[in-house]
Amino acid sequence: MSDDVQDTSGGQVLRERAEQAYAGELAALAAQDEHPRPPQWRLSPWAVTTYLMGGTLPDGTEISPKYVGSRRLIEVAVSSLVTDRALLLLGVPGTAKTWVAEHLAAAVSGDSGLVVQGTAGTPEESLRYGWNYARLLSEGPTRDALVPSPVMRAMESGALVRVEELTRIPADVQDALISILSEKSLPIPEIRAEVQARRGFNVIATANNRDKGVNDLSSALKRRFNTVILPLPDTLEDEVQIVRSRVEQLGASLELPTQLQSLAEVERVVTIFRELRSGATTDRRTTLKSPSATLSTAEAISVMTNGVALAAHFGDGAVSADDVAAGLVGAIVKDPVADAVVWGEYLETVVKDRPEWRDLYRACRDLAGT
Amino acid sequence: MTVAETGVGDAGALFVDELTVLGVRHHGPGSARSVLAALEEIGPDAVVIEGPPELDALVAYVGDPGLVPPVAALAYVVDDPRRAAFYPFASFSPEWVALRWAVEHGVPVQFADLPATHFLAPGASRGDGSRHRPRSAYARDPIGTLASLAGYDDAERWWEDAVEHRYGPSSSSVDDGSGGSVLAGFAAIGEAMAQIRAADEADIAAQDEDGAGADEENLVREAAMRKVLRAVLKSGRQRVVMVCGAYHAPALSLDAFPTAAHDNRLLAKRPKVKVRATWAPWTAGRLATESGYGAGVTSPGWYEHLFTTWQHDGPDGVAHSWLVKVARELRAQRFDADPASVVEATRLATTLAAVRGRPAVGLPELTEATQAVLCDGAVLPLRLVHRNLVVGQALGEVPPSVPVVPLMADLTRQQKALRLKVSASTTTVELDLRRDAGRDRSRLLHRLRLLDIAWGAPQETGTTLGTFREAWKLRWDPELAVSVVEAGLYGTTVVAAAAAKARDLAGRTSDLGRLAEMVERCLTADLGDALDEVVAALGRATAQQHDVSALLSAVEPLARTRRYGDVRRVDTDAVLGVARTVVARASVGLRAACHGLDDDAAGELRLRLDAAHRGVSLLHGEAEVGEAMSEQWHRALHGVAEDDGAPGLVSGRITRLLLDAGEISGAEAAVRLSRRLSPAVPAPEAAAWLDGFVDGDVLLLLHDDDVLDIVDSWVEGLDESAFEDLLPLLRRSFSRFSGVERDQVGRRLRSGAHRSGARAWWGAAGGAGAWLPGGAEDPGRLGESSADEADAAADSGDLAASVGDEAAATGLLPAEEVAALHALARWMGREVAS
Repeated sequence: MSDDVQDTSGGQVLRERAEQAYAGELAALAAQDEHPRPPQWRLSPWAVTTYLMGGTLPDGTEISPKYVGSRRLIEVAVSSLVTDRALLLLGVPGTAKTWVAEHLAAAVSGDSGLVVQGTAGTPEESLRYGWNYARLLSEGPTRDALVPSPVMRAMESGALVRVEELTRIPADVQDALISILSEKSLPIPEIRAEVQARRGFNVIATANNRDKGVNDLSSALKRRFNTVILPLPDTLEDEVQIVRSRVEQLGASLELPTQLQSLAEVERVVTIFRELRSGATTDRRTTLKSPSATLSTAEAISVMTNGVALAAHFGDGAVSADDVAAGLVGAIVKDPVADAVVWGEYLETVVKDRPEWRDLYRACRDLAGT
Repeated sequence: MTVAETGVGDAGALFVDELTVLGVRHHGPGSARSVLAALEEIGPDAVVIEGPPELDALVAYVGDPGLVPPVAALAYVVDDPRRAAFYPFASFSPEWVALRWAVEHGVPVQFADLPATHFLAPGASRGDGSRHRPRSAYARDPIGTLASLAGYDDAERWWEDAVEHRYGPSSSSVDDGSGGSVLAGFAAIGEAMAQIRAADEADIAAQDEDGAGADEENLVREAAMRKVLRAVLKSGRQRVVMVCGAYHAPALSLDAFPTAAHDNRLLAKRPKVKVRATWAPWTAGRLATESGYGAGVTSPGWYEHLFTTWQHDGPDGVAHSWLVKVARELRAQRFDADPASVVEATRLATTLAAVRGRPAVGLPELTEATQAVLCDGAVLPLRLVHRNLVVGQALGEVPPSVPVVPLMADLTRQQKALRLKVSASTTTVELDLRRDAGRDRSRLLHRLRLLDIAWGAPQETGTTLGTFREAWKLRWDPELAVSVVEAGLYGTTVVAAAAAKARDLAGRTSDLGRLAEMVERCLTADLGDALDEVVAALGRATAQQHDVSALLSAVEPLARTRRYGDVRRVDTDAVLGVARTVVARASVGLRAACHGLDDDAAGELRLRLDAAHRGVSLLHGEAEVGEAMSEQWHRALHGVAEDDGAPGLVSGRITRLLLDAGEISGAEAAVRLSRRLSPAVPAPEAAAWLDGFVDGDVLLLLHDDDVLDIVDSWVEGLDESAFEDLLPLLRRSFSRFSGVERDQVGRRLRSGAHRSGARAWWGAAGGAGAWLPGGAEDPGRLGESSADEADAAADSGDLAASVGDEAAATGLLPAEEVAALHALARWMGREVAS
């Protein structure tokens, strides 16, 4: 099994880690970074901010923007990490929480691989440590029988660890983080030892502030985080840019011939999403019902990627209304009854009345079989 | 760079000279601190401050411990106090710092600017500050301009970075030139200003083809400043310090002085008026730019904090002491803000400043740190912090020895003349508007109310229905002094301020209801001129208004104004004219407006219809105009009443209005009622119609047999399930009546004029139980009476006990009530059948 992993690491992987995909930019930044670096940081806070927000280095190297939005937010996030306070990124789905967290880890520690995926079944072992039971039985509790969690490994190496979907983790498991964050140490009573975090260790957690029925953070835990709320993109232009650049990247990694020269299709999808999300048309003239789906930027990206794939394999390579229609309906109509009404109304009152959207209207009507 | 270098060169000449010009940013704590340092360094024997010489009279009060900033120096024309100018001072204003320093060190201090006696005079180029707000004493923020050129969003920030911390491109030359003297900073600022002025002048020349010089005012003011400076220097002073807006600094350096004759020529032949000056308490909110103050700053509270912390702890204490304040404020508002988090917030703010490459923590960093650490990323608590800390709630004080604001003086004079006692406890006064004394008092109180000076609150007069009586509750709170100052922005006498505010409010809204209300308020406050303007504004707004609902809401206040205007002896012909237009337009559009309404909108429209109808009835007495208006209005009502497409609620209400007005006969109303309540009409619609119809005066039901008969037989004709569905609506309609009234209706139903079945539905619909068989005597709450009725009915032995299963099915009412209703419905059915 380990052989297979090594075989595929030579550029064949489906999705490269941030530090692999942007190795060039990170190296250029490191080479030209003259600002002071906190202990164990690969880059200075200034360079980390530049890495995320994009810019041009003194030698002319272009750094692509990873996050499109307020620089202020990223500065607050980076500064939080400098002060060794844990960072909590909040936002509705698809506001680039995980994306920002991954890039922060890549830029600060050069390793975005230390990650705990929060689920309802996340056990305490994945935040602390587990045991290799075969060795535990044969050798008794020794350091070698211990299976460290990503958190523990990050503490030992002085790196950033990511905890995804923190609020999905059961409350009692969440609380294991409290002592790690306040004491910066992880006691291992079984072998009478403890792991003390090296400088540079910190936690970036992400959580969705829209989900209901999740495990809210206790105030004790909340106090140990600096909270940054990532908003949905402000303007249509920002959102179109995000969708386009992500679709192109995804298309490249899936080896799809992406032809998004005309922004029209992206703009159309993003407009539909924004209008349904805000409950009003862009010109503020018509009030709309909002569907139950979140309609985040991430979903717009997946609709477009889907469309690109359809166009590449079944069409002429250029993304048309027919290619996005199916994905569009799938993303919007989550509840087959209520959302179908919402979508039907939108189709008839808004899409139909826009002359340049006629092809989309027809494609969606065909899909509905009417 | 060249700017700074020449600055140093000139600065050398300036220091040894007898005049040092300190160009400052008005209300800039950084400037204030620099001014203080400069004063300490120079040790002047005379201080001159930008401001009209009339303010010299106020210097005497500066040392008084009772004078606590924020305060404003106010110069106003004695005969026409509406012409006035304010000069606000905060504790962090450089001018205030210089004043205090001079007074504490016994150094003579005086003001230099164009005298208020000239610029407040009628016919002067400006100074007509009475209309909305007094002219802002300082219009420009050139340091802000420099800051934005340097890429800063906050001028204080730039001053701090560029001047206080000697940070940025100019630092090296400034330090080399003067060994860190604060004066070098001022010299550099002066030079930079000279460049800005040159650019400005080029701009003006480019824009003004005729070269009239839009900036003539500045030239004149500077000439006046120089005139004062010459006099001071001539009197033998050796080291004079001039504190003025940075923009003026280049024009005031000695080597830039033109000849005295040149200045005198500029100042010659100016009109003059008699001007008086006083101190007035000011508020932090009024210092803020948000309040519309031209030279305002964005964050008075923060600047105050900056200034005091700098003075006591130096720049290092700024961040954590601010965050402690923030945390205390958040705790007071019941947000968790523990001390440990304050420490973390301080660290985050400091780090943020470092990441951004700023030499010190500023308000943006502190705010962001507060949001991330203390507020869990939420924005809402930050608004509290902004209001209470960043802007601040500071309120200045003025010692009693100081002559007061003209509005206050006018108010005190009127209070004395009208013998209305100012007291901190609540007193009630009753006014008879037929007497001059009563009318005058009422007028004053109404004017104050219009000005938001909440001294008196109108009370219900209770039993007296007359329109000539008013009752007021009076209580004077210390905070009202501030309201008076704020109202003072509108004018300097009560009547002028109230009129100006009425005009201002009228000018800012096009909402008919609000405007009509303004008309009424102008009338009660007896603001003749303003009334005309507001009526004119209302006339214009009427012409543009297509919303019938808005038109309807304007009718009643206008009618009241017209009707009761003569009690107050006001000419209201114009009001009648507007009222006529409003009624005409509303009448034309009424029918169309009654279509496509949902329940809420119909309810809203019903209320407005009622109000408009009251208004039209009030005006009915107005000779032929009133009659024509009534006729038109009634025609419109008929139109809607006959329109089956109108919502039941509105239609029912209109039928009732027409019936009450005698426009349709009882028989006709009965026909309509019957038609609208017939089985083909959906039950909820019919019930809404009934709701509109019976709402209001119970006398109709009591004394009109037809109506009650029709209502009665309609209910009886309902089948059981429809009755159950309608019961909540019925109950709602009838529950508007008081217990006694319900009882009376019940008695009428029992009186024999009606079949006995009627009693049952009445009981179920929330009437009284008094007349039920079995004799339960409880006219009390609905639930109880129903229960009693059920008991009573059960006692009579007519009921099967099988209703229990169905009881909970509807879920609309408590189970026992459902049971009771079933019982009654069955009983009713039996009665009708027999």
